[in-house]
Amino acid sequence: MRDYALFIPEYIACGVALLVIALELFAPRVRKDLLAYLTALGAAAWFAAGLAFLDRDPASYQGLFLSDDFTAFFRLLAAGVVAVVALISAEHLKRQRGIDQGEFYGLLLVAGSATTIMAGATELLTAYLALEILSFSLYVLVGILKRDLRSNEASLKYILLGAFSSALFLYGLSLVYGAAGTTSYPGIAEAFAGRDAGLDPAVAVGMMLILAGVGFKVSAAPFHMWAPDAYEGAPLPITAFLSTLSKAAGFALILRLFSTAFVTDAESWRWAFLALAAITMTVGNLIAIQQRNLKRLVAYSSIGQVGYMLISIAALGYGDAQVGLNATSGLLVHLIGYIVTTLALFSALTAAVNRTGSEEIAGLRGLAETQPFLALVITASLFSFAGLPFFAGFTTKLFMLQGATTSETIWVVALAVLNSFISLYYYLMVIRQMYLFDPIGEAVRFRVQPVLWGLAAVLLLGILLIGMYPGPAFEFSEQAAKPLFETASAATARVQAP
Amino acid sequence: MGAEQAWVLAAIPAGVFLVLALFGRALPRGGDYLGVAAIASSFALFFVVLADFLDTPGKLGPVVNDIEWSSIGDTFDLRMGIFIDPITIVMFAVVVTVALMVNIFSIGYMKGEPRYHWFFAVLQLFAASMLMLVMADNLLLLYISWELVGVCSFLLIGFYWEKRSATEAAKKAFVTTRIGDVGLLIGIILLWKEGGTFNIQELIHLAEEGHFSQPYLFTALAFIFLGCMGKSAQVPFHVWLPDAMEGPTPVSALIHAATMVVAGVYLTARLLPMFEVADGMLLTVTIVGLITALLTGFMALAQTDIKKVLAYSTVGQLGFMFIALGAGEPAVAMFHLMTHAFFKALLFLGAGSVIIGTHHNQEMDRLGGLWRKMPITGTTFLIGSLALAGLPPLAGFWSKDEIFVVLEHRWGAWAVILLGISAVTTAFYTTRLFIRTFMGRPADPHVYEHARETPPVMTGPLVFLALLALTSGFVVFHDVGKALGFPGGITEFIFLPHHGPHEYELKWGFAAASLAMAVVGIFSAAWMYWGNDLRRSTALANWQPGIYDMLRRKFYFDELYQGMIDRGVLGFSYLVSWFDRYVVNDTGVDGSAQITGFTGGVLKYLQTGRVPNYAMAVALGVIGLAIAGLVVRG
Repeated sequence: MRDYALFIPEYIACGVALLVIALELFAPRVRKDLLAYLTALGAAAWFAAGLAFLDRDPASYQGLFLSDDFTAFFRLLAAGVVAVVALISAEHLKRQRGIDQGEFYGLLLVAGSATTIMAGATELLTAYLALEILSFSLYVLVGILKRDLRSNEASLKYILLGAFSSALFLYGLSLVYGAAGTTSYPGIAEAFAGRDAGLDPAVAVGMMLILAGVGFKVSAAPFHMWAPDAYEGAPLPITAFLSTLSKAAGFALILRLFSTAFVTDAESWRWAFLALAAITMTVGNLIAIQQRNLKRLVAYSSIGQVGYMLISIAALGYGDAQVGLNATSGLLVHLIGYIVTTLALFSALTAAVNRTGSEEIAGLRGLAETQPFLALVITASLFSFAGLPFFAGFTTKLFMLQGATTSETIWVVALAVLNSFISLYYYLMVIRQMYLFDPIGEAVRFRVQPVLWGLAAVLLLGILLIGMYPGPAFEFSEQAAKPLFETASAATARVQAP
Repeated sequence: MGAEQAWVLAAIPAGVFLVLALFGRALPRGGDYLGVAAIASSFALFFVVLADFLDTPGKLGPVVNDIEWSSIGDTFDLRMGIFIDPITIVMFAVVVTVALMVNIFSIGYMKGEPRYHWFFAVLQLFAASMLMLVMADNLLLLYISWELVGVCSFLLIGFYWEKRSATEAAKKAFVTTRIGDVGLLIGIILLWKEGGTFNIQELIHLAEEGHFSQPYLFTALAFIFLGCMGKSAQVPFHVWLPDAMEGPTPVSALIHAATMVVAGVYLTARLLPMFEVADGMLLTVTIVGLITALLTGFMALAQTDIKKVLAYSTVGQLGFMFIALGAGEPAVAMFHLMTHAFFKALLFLGAGSVIIGTHHNQEMDRLGGLWRKMPITGTTFLIGSLALAGLPPLAGFWSKDEIFVVLEHRWGAWAVILLGISAVTTAFYTTRLFIRTFMGRPADPHVYEHARETPPVMTGPLVFLALLALTSGFVVFHDVGKALGFPGGITEFIFLPHHGPHEYELKWGFAAASLAMAVVGIFSAAWMYWGNDLRRSTALANWQPGIYDMLRRKFYFDELYQGMIDRGVLGFSYLVSWFDRYVVNDTGVDGSAQITGFTGGVLKYLQTGRVPNYAMAVALGVIGLAIAGLVVRG
């Protein structure tokens, strides 16, 4: 049976996307921020529809797409992020000329829908197509400031390197397909479990190529170099989008792919994730120290965060299904904490940049005096990134690292704790600018647009709530992680039976 | 209210912190009376808790009170609560007493300083976090309080943030202790991973049952001990504590002598049953303590800032406490912790009194002869000094003597001889400090002329603490403990379950040796400095300038670390970003594509020279991975 009903939430998202584009096309005089609110409303409807898909039995569409709690988790995450980013954009884009705003909001929704497909894909080509939908939307979004050369340049670099990594990814897929004879995840697991894959160089190389492709997407070192440029050139809300949903989507794909398809051949890839984790966190944090631009700082700091997250993937390969479940739920809960924190940071930063126009760290000078609330939100989010107690980042990272600790990964876990200690240094540099220096020009308090103020306040509460009462978030993540390991153990059991 | 409600002790100052932080500026006198009242009520309530604890049926069983904080899935259930046992009671006693004295003293010391209300606000936050730290029943709550006291320490060291040296010192303290905290957090994660709980008693139980493998337990505890070393400023993490003296002196007394810095000792004592299970852990603790006690004893010899002398002395005495723990004797460690807290707080507050009395002079080179001008400060300082030097019957003698006894019992004579050297240097620098500050010829007549005794709000706490420094050592005796309502002396109050309580008995041989060491130190210092006459000491310094310089520069630890940071971390960071900038040519999006214009199409952009480099990095990464993959699977 072709169960088209599995995609109802995405129909809503794409429907609203078309509506937004059409509205701008046919009613060009409509107030542009209305488009943003319409998008946020659409994302809310998408979110509501997604709620209906929680707690259901897994249902497959043609063996290509699996709707289970894992998929539902990323759908809700995507809808939430799109809504917040649309609201952040509402005020920010008013100031930019020469943007087709319908296109902007439409592509946000499309990129969000692609995330769901990436999380749910159970077949290599479906996963690849979803990845490309997301990437193409992002290429346009990064370069949406048509008259801004930096935005053009960032977009072009992103496209060229993205195409390069897509090619690597695709080549990897074809090698794996050649060895396994199928592109479906359970089929690959079965094929690899049946024989000693270590003798087959095509599989080993294929997996590394796939790893490079997804590593590019989540900006793991040494595939990270596009990220700071793209972050810097993109409009501020898109930087927020890149550092949250784009990474989450990459992890969704990696988690599903490696925990179900490649799990039976874990020796081939687990060491690589561990090595990438160690390199990525160190490179991200050390280069972050040298940054002067806020967006680049966020880019490198988020590269550091990706490094921590990659340990969980490595742990998937080093343990049994129980370890995998713990590691995955830890990763998912940290994704929630990381995303809430990042969005809080960006709503406050956008409000500040709307006022000052400067995207340098020094542009925040004296913010504690001119807008103490924003300074507070920025400080709280940076503390959360650095993993100080009471803030989301501490609790969720603690869960994640605990889940990722196995006897083989422990030294990288220790490195991660050390790295988050280093990261505090550059976060404190930003905080110092806000609290210890006098503002540039005269110190007048300014008002924050109500939408951004409200967003920042809600997200700040979120940071504190997750930090101090992590139970619900963690249970949600555990529920989302479970299906991956039920199917995985079922697949292994099936293979071992004959 | 009973011992189950001991959390109120922490809740009161926490509430007052909020009031002072938010409205302190508007309150008359910055609300200092609120701060004193908060600590005073915690002080009073402590006795209620103590009475209740001692009355609990089933003598001295720990009091536990916890709530379910967050139940997560079916795997894990996080409970938060308090755990009161004799160790906690001793810590309570120390924290509330010293905090109360310091709060009262600060009214005089901080008079007229900017941000007066903020100072009192942070003192309350500190007291609340410190009390929470010592009663936490699980490692997570403990870690959170641990970080909070660290933040308070950071804020108070950097209190005069207009002074560059103060902000530098705050940064140094923060960074150094946080390196230890990294270890602590890793240790907690490791114990949680294998034990499945944060609860300290459950973890101890698991360790005793052999749930953890030996190397695993050793690794986890070694990481936790790193945290203890950072907080308690043990070598090689000791460098931050002397610099922390940039903070206001009452803060040095409270945080950097009596309470926060002993958190590491407390945590080790708390986890000592686990340390006993892990082979080699106790020896590690002993060696760290010995090295610290020895080195800092020498470092203190050449310091001329009175607060710095006291700071090195604090580090050394913390080493003594770790040595007691390394001998497997928490009672002795807690005993020394308590007596030390009282006499060291007394010495620091005395130093503060000198600083105020002489209008901000704390260099010995400008002091001398102050006893005549400041009789109360001088007399109480003398009591504190003699207690530190270990002269009977003052408090320091009894606790230090016990450390020698248990050290010899556990590790033999070699350790006692090493520690004996440290005891002699302690007596020496303490005497030198007292003579050069309070006796003989004033080094700077101008300072001397204008010196005067400080007001009663400052001398009052000095007298109270001096009384404690005189008498608190007697709690070691069975009859004294009995008379106070305890089951007996301190060794009958605090003990490891499998050792059981035992009554203290004075070992005359050790007492005589201990007294001899103190006397040797005191008399040689007196001979060298009597009358504040520096001819003999200058001759000695000139006789071996290399050694003198080494002591003055504190064995070059700071230079070594600076070099490591410059060449190590920052160097590596520069190298990585240099690589990014010049090899990969990542100069950021600077619009350099503009130069080529749009007309030339895509190829022009490629000539910015970066995209191919980025792609090259990706390609090299893939090739590296692929080769490694083939090797791993080959």
